[in-house]
Amino acid sequence: MAFLVLDGLTKRFGEHIAVENLSLAVEQGEFLALLGPSGCGKTTTLQMIAGFVTPTSGTITLAGQDLLAVKPAKRGLGIVFQSYALFPHMTAAENVAFGLEMQGVDKSERSRRVTEALELVGLGKFAERHPRRMSGGQQQRVALARALVIRPSILLLDEPLSNLDAKLREEMQIELRQIQRNVGTTTILVTHDQSEAMALSDRIAVMSQGRIEQIAPPHEAYERPATPFVANFLGKTNVLQAQVQSGQALLGEGRWPVPAGSPPRVLVTVRPEKIGFADGGAQALAGQVVTRIFQGNHWLYQVDTAHGRVTVIRQNSGETAPAEGEAVRLSWRQEDMSVRPAETAR
Amino acid sequence: MSRNGPLALIFHTLFVIFTLAPIVVVCVVAFTPEGYLSLPTNGPSLRWFRTIARYPEFINAFWTSIWLGTVSSVIALAFSVPAALAIARYDFTGREALTALFMSPLMIPHVVLGIAFLRFFTQIGIGGTFLGLVLSHIVVVLPFALRLTLASATGMDRRIEQAAISLGASEWTVLKRITLPLILPGLASGWALSFITSFDEVTMTVFIAAPGTETLPVRMFLYIQDNIDPLVTSVSASVIAATVVALIVMDRIYGLERLLVGRGSGDR
Repeated sequence: MAFLVLDGLTKRFGEHIAVENLSLAVEQGEFLALLGPSGCGKTTTLQMIAGFVTPTSGTITLAGQDLLAVKPAKRGLGIVFQSYALFPHMTAAENVAFGLEMQGVDKSERSRRVTEALELVGLGKFAERHPRRMSGGQQQRVALARALVIRPSILLLDEPLSNLDAKLREEMQIELRQIQRNVGTTTILVTHDQSEAMALSDRIAVMSQGRIEQIAPPHEAYERPATPFVANFLGKTNVLQAQVQSGQALLGEGRWPVPAGSPPRVLVTVRPEKIGFADGGAQALAGQVVTRIFQGNHWLYQVDTAHGRVTVIRQNSGETAPAEGEAVRLSWRQEDMSVRPAETAR
Repeated sequence: MSRNGPLALIFHTLFVIFTLAPIVVVCVVAFTPEGYLSLPTNGPSLRWFRTIARYPEFINAFWTSIWLGTVSSVIALAFSVPAALAIARYDFTGREALTALFMSPLMIPHVVLGIAFLRFFTQIGIGGTFLGLVLSHIVVVLPFALRLTLASATGMDRRIEQAAISLGASEWTVLKRITLPLILPGLASGWALSFITSFDEVTMTVFIAAPGTETLPVRMFLYIQDNIDPLVTSVSASVIAATVVALIVMDRIYGLERLLVGRGSGDR
């Protein structure tokens, strides 16, 4: 049995169903991201694990023990909030020491572990500072140290990096990942930022309208999205309508084999970076470059085709870049596209 | 920040003069050597300040006011904290009605309150006692204490308390170590405003107070009904001086801005 198991978890607020029949198993030491747009139920799920929201039905089991029977204060979970939620009237060290004090850890042991935790997050010199005299990134680290110092069985991160600017966020992502690897705490991250979820986690649970759409390692979820929602939510993608004739999808002059039993109309999904510019002979979809934007390490194209506008990303690796207005032929490998019946499209 | 234009400057200056002038006049008149209200044209004198010492009822009334203000504002605050936390946090039946009830003394003229309390206290046998004064003042200052406590309780981030709970703190510990320290500025300004309101109250108190439990404003009010001499000005000047000293002391040890605006100044 897995370390943390959510089984049939449901939360209703009046008529509104925030989380519906959600089941999930997390292994010890795993870093799992709950990813989805706002209102998808990811924060409610986290709050139910933390104990601040009581589920309408379903169970939560931690290491074989019924977690719902345990009071929030006794669950021993570490939580980091988006707003940091530091105690503003206490110094960084006092903030970190609070949990240990509640556990009744004696004073010398306490100060040793506080120092250790602050050094872990690179704030050894800031122990005596108050939160309001620290930057957002520093406050974030204090919050992390405060959650980790009690050696929680699970670390819950609620949009922990959303309040930081882009550059700092990237640094903190790398740092957070390293710290989690070193400490080995089972971690659940709630985020709406797909790149953050992909960068940090071992597995991603993509959520929409209170349900889990797909649970998979980031790479797998990106390459083989289980539903159109996942495909759209994880990075940019192109969705093209195509006719099927004798087992092949027709796109311009191109013919791509589709799975047997496909209906006459299908939706073909291809990631922008998987599309290339073909030479004369290859089977391809013809189009015209509308815009071309240089972004340093890659070029971003918008190409008008008979099947709609297609986004193409090409690495800036020295190949000639078609100019705006130029006619191009788009091509991709068959394994890079996914096909689904047009009827189920949302 | 934009600077004030000349018109705005003139307006502000006039406004400040308009507000301060009566106080300044009272303080200056207090130093008159004459037996009637006049400016001290023949040099200042402490005659009327010395006279205060011959009227022990003024001194006693001053202490009554101080005690009354302290006791009633502390009790009102003790009521306000749980009430404000409940109103700010929970959506229960009768929440609006409860808030309206606590705020209602603001809407009733103090004359009406005074007559009602006089009648009621006489009926239950505590007319003219200090207890009666305290009870009536609690009612009058409660809206002030509750408003400011409520404002800081509403503005508090619940996640901070959730963080404390997740770290293993019991509800009582959260209240003592986290919630109360965080709403302290609101409590302090609520207390100060309540104390000042109580100290200032005369319209209602004049009905309830009896000889021996007169507050300072009541004593002064009764005095000027019979006499017109500069004694009230010297008493007023003394109270003003005491207020200024108290404000300076509070500013030094706590920070006035923090107390009255409820905003934390920087840490030391």
